[in-house]
Amino acid sequence: MKWIRWSGLAGFAAVVALLAAIWLLLAPWLIRASIETLGSKVARARVDVQSVSMMFSPIGVEIRGLTVANASQPMENLFEVDRAEASLEVGPLFLGKTIIQELSINGLEFNTARTVSGALPQSASASSALDGSAGSKEDSGLASQLMAELPSAEEILERESLQTDAAGKTLVSTFDARKQQVNEAVAGLPDEKALLAYQEEVQALTANNITSLQDFQQRKQKLDELRARFKADKKAITSARDLIGETRIDLSDKLKTLRDAPAADLASIRAKYQLNAEGAVNLSGLLFGDDVGNRAAWLLHWYQELSPWLDKMNSTDGVEEPEVPRPEGRFVHFPSADPWPDFLIRKAHINATTSVGKLAGEAIDITGQQRLIGRPMQFTAEGVDMPSAKSLNLKLVLDHRQKPATDSFTLTSSDWQMPAVELGIGETRLDAAKAQVQASANVSAGKLSSKLDMQMASASFSGSGQTLFAKELTSALQTVKEFNIRAAANGELSSPKVELGSDLDRRLSAAFTQRLRAKQDELEARLQKKINERIDQYAGSYADDLKAINDMDGSLADRFTKLEELAKAELKEYADQKKQEAKDKAKSAVGEQIKKIL
Amino acid sequence: MLSMLANLLKALNSESEPGQISLAFVFGMLVAFTPMWSFHNLLLLLLVLVLRTNISGFLVGLAFFSLVALLVDPLSIRIGEAVLTNPDWREFFTGLYQSEFWRMTAFNNTLTMGGLILGLVCAPVLYVVSNVLIRQYRERVMEQVNKLKIVQVIKASNFYRMYQSLAG
Repeated sequence: MKWIRWSGLAGFAAVVALLAAIWLLLAPWLIRASIETLGSKVARARVDVQSVSMMFSPIGVEIRGLTVANASQPMENLFEVDRAEASLEVGPLFLGKTIIQELSINGLEFNTARTVSGALPQSASASSALDGSAGSKEDSGLASQLMAELPSAEEILERESLQTDAAGKTLVSTFDARKQQVNEAVAGLPDEKALLAYQEEVQALTANNITSLQDFQQRKQKLDELRARFKADKKAITSARDLIGETRIDLSDKLKTLRDAPAADLASIRAKYQLNAEGAVNLSGLLFGDDVGNRAAWLLHWYQELSPWLDKMNSTDGVEEPEVPRPEGRFVHFPSADPWPDFLIRKAHINATTSVGKLAGEAIDITGQQRLIGRPMQFTAEGVDMPSAKSLNLKLVLDHRQKPATDSFTLTSSDWQMPAVELGIGETRLDAAKAQVQASANVSAGKLSSKLDMQMASASFSGSGQTLFAKELTSALQTVKEFNIRAAANGELSSPKVELGSDLDRRLSAAFTQRLRAKQDELEARLQKKINERIDQYAGSYADDLKAINDMDGSLADRFTKLEELAKAELKEYADQKKQEAKDKAKSAVGEQIKKIL
Repeated sequence: MLSMLANLLKALNSESEPGQISLAFVFGMLVAFTPMWSFHNLLLLLLVLVLRTNISGFLVGLAFFSLVALLVDPLSIRIGEAVLTNPDWREFFTGLYQSEFWRMTAFNNTLTMGGLILGLVCAPVLYVVSNVLIRQYRERVMEQVNKLKIVQVIKASNFYRMYQSLAG
């Protein structure tokens, strides 16, 4: 036995035992850290695990107290699991593959309260993406239109940016500026007193006889000086009149704009605050849109979060792997009834408590490498002893075996006692109704095709709104006992076109159309009155001011004429005056001689 | 590493069968040429411990051939790829694949298969060459090596003395 070392057998056992002990000690810690780290990454919120322990017969893992916080509401859990037990297959573990033979999830509950916030430090901005309610409210333009149903004229005028206000303010500022310019221009012009003084000066220069050549020259010089001043004054008056003319045109335009603005304002407000039959036709969208929208947004969000993981893992399932040699080599898979993907849950049993009641679900073939196992992931669930529904069945199939992947979802429920639903408008509420529900959705190549049919019976509505609209709506709803809701979402998965219709619309439409029309007319009359009051506020005094400017122009015209007349005054030439005197003297002498002769 | 070299030196200088040291080299090479955490390596470890091979020789061989593996891995993978995708062998491998035990061995991994084939092909050559070299060493080089200063230093170290006392 020279070649055999029996002590080595013990050494081998010791090495194997040591490796096993290390694995068993580290495994719970590794599993817990993996769940918390990866889970937080996917959920964008805290994921906590109370404890992880290993089981030995069969080999497996037990997880207790798993909580996944809601990223949009950190004080609430998206879901929590009281206890999950997974039995593992040993063989695949040697290849680093996790194959769970059976997973049992007990005590699954949704939307439970947390004692500490589940927000991650960096998840504040991401939370808004999950806040479906905010998005749907913004999207619901029609809802916001009727949410602001029949506001007072004062409220509308306060919240709206009116052209009347803008035109009025422009008029005021233009007038102030122009007024200052005109005042400055007029201030330098000769007034009545100055004109009278001019007149006296001219008369003084031209009335008395010129006594000498020197007297003539002095008078002429003074008259020329006066003419120069007249010329300057006339020029200033012309400029002032031009300015007044421009001011008058400018202010007239602004005043006209102001007078036209109310009509434009009213047309704009009418278009925005239209309460017409269109609103009534989409009433079901307003009533249930937010609720349906929030739930759909929540589902779509999680579908879009998880879907890439399925596709990503499928691309590495070995079937399509490139044949480029790598240092780690690759696994060549052969046909088998039992292939081993990197991760697989063969069967999972889930017992959940939901708002509807208890659900018992079963999922099979949960893996990201469906092409390898050749089967899609399927999840089925049904209600168990549900107090609020006779039956509830749902089925989810995620088939990513081929591209494009096809995912489908169906749900049926009978005699579902709907919980109270706060409706979108008028503080109305659907207190109770018994619903038959059929829903289906299909996603393929990024395109969503889904529909929901609900037949409601024994409906009971109430409302606490105090506005006339709310009271009218409540009264109309209370006459409805049965109605159907149809919803569809089709198109691109990221932005599907959502349609929501109901025969509730038809039932309510007639009652609303008449009432809304009357209310619309009443509102418009009030608006007209208020806007007219604003016109008076802006335009009333400025119309008078414009008249004053016109009068001022007339006064300046008179002054200009007077200056022109004064400027025409002339001095007789000294020589001419002497000639005239000689003529007069000769004429006088001749007259006397004639008298003497006669 | 120093202690391993010392141990190897002691083994080379001792009256140990050259075959025990050569076999240790072969096992080291087989482990090094295939992915470390493979099921067959567990069996190889068992053989190394139970058969009277030189453990220091195994560890030195493992370290040396791990470096060599960096160069030959691409070749191993190509060999594995060629073997596993050979249509003539497909039926055989499909049969093995149905067994949980064989799948656990990761035989369908190209590096495992190729590395093992390459190692097994090289094993007899390595065994024979190592045997010859060890004998040649003992006859011709051992005395000169023992006179080297580095060897003197190693032999004078506390660890070597402790090892010798424990090993008897």
